[in-house]
Amino acid sequence: MPRWGMVIDLDKCTGCQACTVACKVENNVPHGSPEEQTSRREIYWNKVIAATRGRYPRVKTELIPMPCMHCDNAPCVTVCPAIATYRRADGIIMQNFRRCIGCKYCMVACPYGVRSFNFKEQESKEYQRQDRPPDRTVWGPWPFPTRTHGVVEKCTFCFHLIDQGIKEGKRIGEEVVPACVEACPANARFFGDLDDTRSQVSRLLSSRGSIRLREELVTKPKVYYLLQ
Amino acid sequence: MNRRTFLKLSAFTGAAVGASQMTGALDTPAASPLSKATQNTDDEKWIATSCLICPARCAIRLRVVNGKAIKVTGNPSSRVSEGKICPRAHIGLQVLYDPDRIAFPLKRTTKEKGKGIDPKWVPMTWDQAFEEVTRYLRPLREKAQPHRLLLFSGLNTVSGEDAISRFAAAFGTPNLISGDGLDCEAEKSGHWMADGHYSNRAYDLDHTRYILAFGADILESGRPLTRFLRKWGKLRREEPNRTKVVVINPRYSVTAAKSDEWIPIQPGTDAALALGVAHVIISEKLYDQNFIHHWTEGFDSYKNWVLSQYSPKVVSEITGIPSEAIQRTAREFSQTRPAIALGGMGSINWPEGSTISHAIFCLNALVGSVDVPGGVIYQVHPKYRDMADGVQDEIARRGKIQPCLDFRGTDRFPAAKVVTNQIPESILEDVPYTVEMAIGFNSNFNMSAPGTQRWDEALKKLPYFVQISPFVSEMAQYADLVLPSTTFLEEWGYDHSPSESGYAEARIKQPVVSPRGHSRSTIDILFEWARRLGGGVAQSFADIGGDSKGFVQFRTAALMPWEEFLREGVWSGPQYEYKKYNHLFNTPSRKFEFTSGNLKSLLSKMKKKTGDLDCLPHYKESQFLGEREKYPLLLLPYQPLMHMENGSQNYPWAQEIFLPMQGMGWDNLAEINSETANALKLREGEEVWVESPFQRMKVKLKCSEGVHPEVVAVSIGQGHSAYGRWQKGMGVNPNEILGVDYDPVSGQSSFFNTRVRVYKA
Repeated sequence: MPRWGMVIDLDKCTGCQACTVACKVENNVPHGSPEEQTSRREIYWNKVIAATRGRYPRVKTELIPMPCMHCDNAPCVTVCPAIATYRRADGIIMQNFRRCIGCKYCMVACPYGVRSFNFKEQESKEYQRQDRPPDRTVWGPWPFPTRTHGVVEKCTFCFHLIDQGIKEGKRIGEEVVPACVEACPANARFFGDLDDTRSQVSRLLSSRGSIRLREELVTKPKVYYLLQ
Repeated sequence: MNRRTFLKLSAFTGAAVGASQMTGALDTPAASPLSKATQNTDDEKWIATSCLICPARCAIRLRVVNGKAIKVTGNPSSRVSEGKICPRAHIGLQVLYDPDRIAFPLKRTTKEKGKGIDPKWVPMTWDQAFEEVTRYLRPLREKAQPHRLLLFSGLNTVSGEDAISRFAAAFGTPNLISGDGLDCEAEKSGHWMADGHYSNRAYDLDHTRYILAFGADILESGRPLTRFLRKWGKLRREEPNRTKVVVINPRYSVTAAKSDEWIPIQPGTDAALALGVAHVIISEKLYDQNFIHHWTEGFDSYKNWVLSQYSPKVVSEITGIPSEAIQRTAREFSQTRPAIALGGMGSINWPEGSTISHAIFCLNALVGSVDVPGGVIYQVHPKYRDMADGVQDEIARRGKIQPCLDFRGTDRFPAAKVVTNQIPESILEDVPYTVEMAIGFNSNFNMSAPGTQRWDEALKKLPYFVQISPFVSEMAQYADLVLPSTTFLEEWGYDHSPSESGYAEARIKQPVVSPRGHSRSTIDILFEWARRLGGGVAQSFADIGGDSKGFVQFRTAALMPWEEFLREGVWSGPQYEYKKYNHLFNTPSRKFEFTSGNLKSLLSKMKKKTGDLDCLPHYKESQFLGEREKYPLLLLPYQPLMHMENGSQNYPWAQEIFLPMQGMGWDNLAEINSETANALKLREGEEVWVESPFQRMKVKLKCSEGVHPEVVAVSIGQGHSAYGRWQKGMGVNPNEILGVDYDPVSGQSSFFNTRVRVYKA
């Protein structure tokens, strides 16, 4: 069984946010509004955050793309009282909207802040998104043409693309990758099997020093960052 | 950055992790994919076309299922973008499905025009609209005054531009005004002063080892953006030698954050820095002697001038950059070859823009980076099939030779090809003659030009104004008639970028979905006008395809077979040829000129007095608008990546992540240095007035460590007032409070020399 992971090269990353937009397109993640941004109720599965230190002129800002880390030792899974968030055998942390009771315990537990609660009011069980075709049959293998109000959402490593790719016998990590990896114009993101030493991600990790966020918490994230 | 600081940066609110984990507890996915007959592959199509959210016009492919466009990707056939796209291209879907687009031609029923005045649009049919426009167009030609027609051209396809200029020529008006005069021209004229080519340069990013970017935010507003983003990854980690990037900018941009070194500079002094760098290179004999000796002219006077005036110490005082940093940068730049010095809007959009551009460009000659692998290269454009010369009847011929409304090529703007921002004054003062009618093609200059209220006044004064646009933009707000044009995903066209990768590449535009509402493509509208006008205009449009599709087919026939072009979407020219020095330079000496012979002969033709200095790269302190005592700060508008260049911002995906460095969207901010804010007793987050001698605007304050202490940085792209649920009334438009000034050579507007003061609202 593979263990899917992602490598993000911060030296190549341009901070352009193509990953954020591509994720919204692929996963039908609802867009926000000024009001939702003020009240921090926007939903992102992959947001690029900025962290600044230093004073003028010796200032340094890091732009860090933040997908779900898909921790091997995921606090969200531990705390979920409803078994709505769980880990698949291939290591992807999933969120079952039907089981989720919206208690947000997982959001508190997540040390990375990559989970969003869906506060959106539902009209006719579907978002009135003009930019998406109303005909839900055209959305391909994506399983959530309608979204659920009152549950927690998060990045899935585009599991639907991976599952479909495996079914079609494609090479995951090369021919089939999550939408954010495909969209990255700088080729700064990589996806593949961390347990396979021949995979691109493994080779990259052995070539350069990498870090994972908040390793001291022993969450064992499967998203690695290569530094400048 | 080392591991420890990174960990510190990433410190979010924490929580302890329990030991036990549910592993693979439930194997069923959260919901099973919609498998039953939902993926009817018969209905799925991938269509090759090209983007038009900025002038780079990258090749893209659209996934279209059941007649709906649902995904944008790059086109691997394009060598320019290598199958990649920038984030804006994805947002093409929201450009297409923008709910606030217009569906019918709209006629204004209120007489009064102005900001906030409801035009009370009444829909009409296309036939009525065509009839009305020809009713206004025809008399202009009958009275033999076709030059009183003014055409604005915003962001259009290259095919659209070709059709528009053919229409202008056949109709007989010299007044075709593009937006280039706002942000492109000074860079071009600076290059022309050195090498005789009045165009944007391309950069050979495949081979360069060092980039010195003067005010160029190549990862945000660089063109072509996709190529810069793609090559950034390549330059950093896909080659054995990592390319070093140094960014010189008063503002800590995303590009600066991602570069190896950010050098904040006193605004408007980039020319001095370029000359200081040249001083070090020349005095330490680090320049490319072979290139200088064989292929340049005027090096000795340049050398003496630079050595006598721009020692690192002097330059350090002007620019505020330590002289050690200048020396180090100069040595690195000249010793890490091939190196590129590139100027961007931040350094060049100043009153002395052409000279600044010339000064920066000369650095490339010093290190021999002209037309070599990894250096500055000369863009080749696709050769479309020639159209027979349009029929210019007597009326058109007489109209065409009238002086142009923008005073291009006169002693006011000697080298200018277009002076966009001069138009409002010409309209308001009726010089050189009265404008009787104007047509806007996807233009939105009363948002994008400095001094926007002059544009509002001028547009108000136009007797009859037709705007062609997919939405009621700020400019359309003043129109008597708005014609709904198609977006780039619904129309035929051919396209290329003004500068990209050296070799030519043409891309097709084909409709991926049928036009929404009753919109029509610009080219089809022009064909219909030509037919209805008859005479020379109709003849000029007679044998070039008949409609937009036919026109594209006609023009691209010389490139590749039509079916193949439709399928591939991209035509590539032959490999780029370097070192064409024998016939490259279009200057009096046929060499690269440090002392511009082109400018000298032009100025003497205009009977203008020229000093030796005028034609040499030099630094002159900028003229600022507003006194320093009263207005101590400088307003610095900047373009973030998510600013869409099609005249609208009504796209939620772009709006919500508009300013990544600030972590916010839907708005913009007045960013000032935290020390400056302290001195002014202003606090982060409070509303302030930013006031120039001309106007003021209320905006939220952001204290920043990444802004020069004498600067207020405000992003452009917000402050829309005309339409759109996701843009109207959000943020401010810094162009509203800018004063009006020009580069005297190229006539380009300057954006950065307006002084402001900031105080609590």
